[in-house]
Amino acid sequence: MRFQTRHFGIIEFDDDAVFQFPAGLPGFEDEHEFVALEQPRIRPIVFLQSLKRPDLCFITLPVQTIEPAYRLSVSAEDLRLLELPEDRQPEIGKQVLCLAIVAVAEGQTPTANLLAPLVINLANRRAVQAIMSDSGYSHRHPLPVPADEESVCSSCAEGSARQS
Amino acid sequence: MLIVRRRVGQAILIGDQVEVDVLEIQPGRVKLGVVAPKEIPVIRAEVKLTRQQNLEAAGGATPEKAAELAERLRSRAAGAESGSGPQQESPERPRNDEVSRSA
Repeated sequence: MRFQTRHFGIIEFDDDAVFQFPAGLPGFEDEHEFVALEQPRIRPIVFLQSLKRPDLCFITLPVQTIEPAYRLSVSAEDLRLLELPEDRQPEIGKQVLCLAIVAVAEGQTPTANLLAPLVINLANRRAVQAIMSDSGYSHRHPLPVPADEESVCSSCAEGSARQS
Repeated sequence: MLIVRRRVGQAILIGDQVEVDVLEIQPGRVKLGVVAPKEIPVIRAEVKLTRQQNLEAAGGATPEKAAELAERLRSRAAGAESGSGPQQESPERPRNDEVSRSA
């Protein structure tokens, strides 16, 4: 399959690389298909590109890169949607891929939504943004900022170019 | 904020069309039933937070921002190879989390 995106040009991928979100995502209820894009230079970040809106993508991080001891508490309803057994939590990395959406706003610490991770069943690629009300995780979990901000910024050009 | 005490089986009314029933109470948890017309969406507050966060995240998701973030994370990790795979834990490594402070 091929798809023209705004940020990545034309992307090519296999049919089975597509994640199916039957319920969409909160705020994007009509977006049902996404594909994960990985680039070596931005590891461990994973881009999630919509296959409906060329301009829509999310920056995500595997939850275990943020919180190594991350625990899932996916609701029975969401487990049903994923077609997973309802009596136990799926294993991250084995049964499911678990990505946290990252919000990066100008002048603010980037945050990750650990309250509502994207959970993707690796067996059938069905996916859901699982809102884990009882988990105690934050929807704005601050990502680590380097101690020495200056040394990081000196190596990258300031004034980010805008793509249209 | 209006604060009301209710028992199981009791309800409150919001306007003419919305009814909130108290169905079940457990320690630290309450089960509510909401009767509302279709045009009034009833969602958990976390859904709204996640919606706002998603909209904000989508607005700022560019390859440039991602590269910047990757750089930040890398400088934090200080060269430690932190791929998306499971973390490697050396079994021989002594546990230091139970250091006594008797000194």
